[in-house]
Amino acid sequence: MVTPDLSVSLGGLKVKNPVLSASGTFGYGLEYMPFYDISRLGAVVVKGLSLAPTPGNPPGRIVETAAGMLNAIGLQNIGVERFVGDVVPRLEDVGATFVANIYGKTMEEYEAVALRLSEVPSLGAIEVNASCPNVREGGMAFGATPGGIAALTGRVRRSTGKPLWVKLSPNVTDIAGIARAAEGAGADAVSLINTIVGMAVDHRTRRPQLSNVTGGLSGPAIKPVALRMTWEAAKAIKIPVIGIGGIQSAADALEFLLVGASAVQVGTANFRNPRACVDILEGMEAFFREERIAALADYRGGLRMENSP
Amino acid sequence: MTYNPTRFVTGRIVRNEGRGEIFYRIEATIPEPLRFVPGQFAMVSGWPGNDPLLPRPLAVFRSGGTRGKGKIEFVYKVVGRGTALLSGLHPGETLSITLPLGRGFDLEQAGRTYWLVGGGVGFSSVFPAAALLGRRRNGFEMFLGARTRDHLPPKEWTPGGKAPGRTHFCTEDGTAGYHGRVTDAVLERMRELSPEAASRLTILACGPKEMLKEISTETLKRGIPAQVALENHMACGFGVCWGCVVTLWEGDRTAYRRVCRDGPVFDAREVVW
Ligand SMILES: Cc1cc2nc3c(=O)[nH]c(=O)nc-3n(C[C@H](O)[C@H](O)[C@H](O)COP(=O)(O)OP(=O)(O)OC[C@H]3O[C@@H](n4cnc5c(N)ncnc54)[C@H](O)[C@@H]3O)c2cc1C
Ligand SMILES: Cc1cc2nc3c(=O)[nH]c(=O)nc-3n(C[C@H](O)[C@H](O)[C@H](O)COP(=O)(O)O)c2cc1C
Ligand code: FES
Repeated sequence: MVTPDLSVSLGGLKVKNPVLSASGTFGYGLEYMPFYDISRLGAVVVKGLSLAPTPGNPPGRIVETAAGMLNAIGLQNIGVERFVGDVVPRLEDVGATFVANIYGKTMEEYEAVALRLSEVPSLGAIEVNASCPNVREGGMAFGATPGGIAALTGRVRRSTGKPLWVKLSPNVTDIAGIARAAEGAGADAVSLINTIVGMAVDHRTRRPQLSNVTGGLSGPAIKPVALRMTWEAAKAIKIPVIGIGGIQSAADALEFLLVGASAVQVGTANFRNPRACVDILEGMEAFFREERIAALADYRGGLRMENSP
Repeated sequence: MTYNPTRFVTGRIVRNEGRGEIFYRIEATIPEPLRFVPGQFAMVSGWPGNDPLLPRPLAVFRSGGTRGKGKIEFVYKVVGRGTALLSGLHPGETLSITLPLGRGFDLEQAGRTYWLVGGGVGFSSVFPAAALLGRRRNGFEMFLGARTRDHLPPKEWTPGGKAPGRTHFCTEDGTAGYHGRVTDAVLERMRELSPEAASRLTILACGPKEMLKEISTETLKRGIPAQVALENHMACGFGVCWGCVVTLWEGDRTAYRRVCRDGPVFDAREVVW
């Protein structure tokens, strides 16, 4: 039987399949080369980049919780210059499609990072992290309201011709409104969800378990929330939605496609299984073959709402 | 040094036995034999379901086997949910293992005498170092500390053979060997050394943080090089999540470095305690 066509266009970036890595769980991509050829993925989304290298939060950055984990890394990263100088050529060598996730403490910083990255011809897209819960300024403040999202999206839009993805925070009341604001301000796609703000304390030592006190929850624990928000966002906007949150298997990924996502990103699952992304990709291909579905487009958004249980 | 590419493999459990309810030793077959540097580790999981979600770091204790049929061993202490679930797995069941990971002990310096110090389950990364030095007929002494005799590693696990090493067992309650903390035994033995012998000494240590800190302070005072194997909570184990950082000195500044990738073995002088 013919190979199913898994290609999809993500706001100006055409990818050969809808399985992408999630920012912050995939390093700069190359770290996964011992496990498989990362150019097989739809795209590699790298760790959040800031203008200057960022030291991140003090130790005590992760804690495991029921079927999930909290992190407060604080966006430790090598900065945009070193990324462009050292990492980009190697990603080009391996032939990977790659996307830069960016953040700033101010609008100007977001803009400056986007400007610099726009000079990199091989860069597939820019994903704006409008939602990191682990830095005091920036991110979250912009991501929490439709007005903030519109302002940030508009600003970055004017500084880059690259496909622009805006990554949304789940820590909001009305995700559909936020998604519409991003679309209205010129985003080419939205991705969601980032982590959900959470907390863990130790009842004996009477202390918080993270140095930052609160952190971002990820992993299978957040999947139902992520699925619901992906569904709501997909109904609200016309630009592509990239679903993220707790995806561990091909079945999980297919559920996101069913509720309207054009692609998915796989995050925390990479930690237990470094081959998670390709395992999911292969599982998805097998499913389409079995079900004799010729193309991703024939399945995507096909959630049956009539006679729901 | 040999190139040891990291891989993600399925292991099939051959043995998983407890000793005195304290230490377990698990042996599994893996597709190919593994070359590793003592002090390197693996990320191991095998329990079904999502709780715990993350694999657990364990030092590579032994490896062997032949082409097409590798063998790997870990020793562990049950301290929480992950290790408890691990202890319940049976022969024939599978493990997911990413290995080898991290930077191990530097045992490549010529003309050194090594002292290996293991506190608690820290012997798991010290024994492979002893075994390697023994094979090379490089002089070493080993200091093993525990609360009581029952908390010491079983004698038959201790690398022996023709190794020119000497092992000092230490217990805090005096039920076996030296009565007192392992660090005190190390310091006492150090006082017996001639300055010339002391100048050839390198110390490698793995164990509780307090022990490592004391070893570092005391060796620093005396100008003796020391390498310490640090621990931290880990999510990935191969350098991508930046969750496992510790604070290190870099010149007169400090920086956050990953235990899983930049360590777990660090020069004692670098560590900010
Ligand atoms: C590089 C490295 C090598 C290791 N090698 C071995 C080994 O060979 N044998 C062995 O028995 N153990 C080893 N450990 C420690 C082992 O990983 C932990 O004991 C294990 O992860 C605990 O899992 P758990 O689910 O049983 O306990 P949990 O329920 O996760 O925790 C139980 C208690 O242990 C503490 N804890 C858990 N993990 C760590 C950690 N990594 N560092 C410090 N405290 C922790 C928790 O805070 C808690 O108080 C190693 C750790 C590292 C980082
Ligand atoms: C350790 C860690 C670091 C992360 N860092 C970033 C980041 O730098 N930028 C970003 O947009 N999202 C970051 N995220 C969020 C993930 O990309 C993803 O949105 C989230 O974890 C939910 O997906 P998952 O459940 O599959 O992990 C991070 C997540 C984790 C666990
Ligand atoms: S455990 Fe992920 S970087 Fe060390």
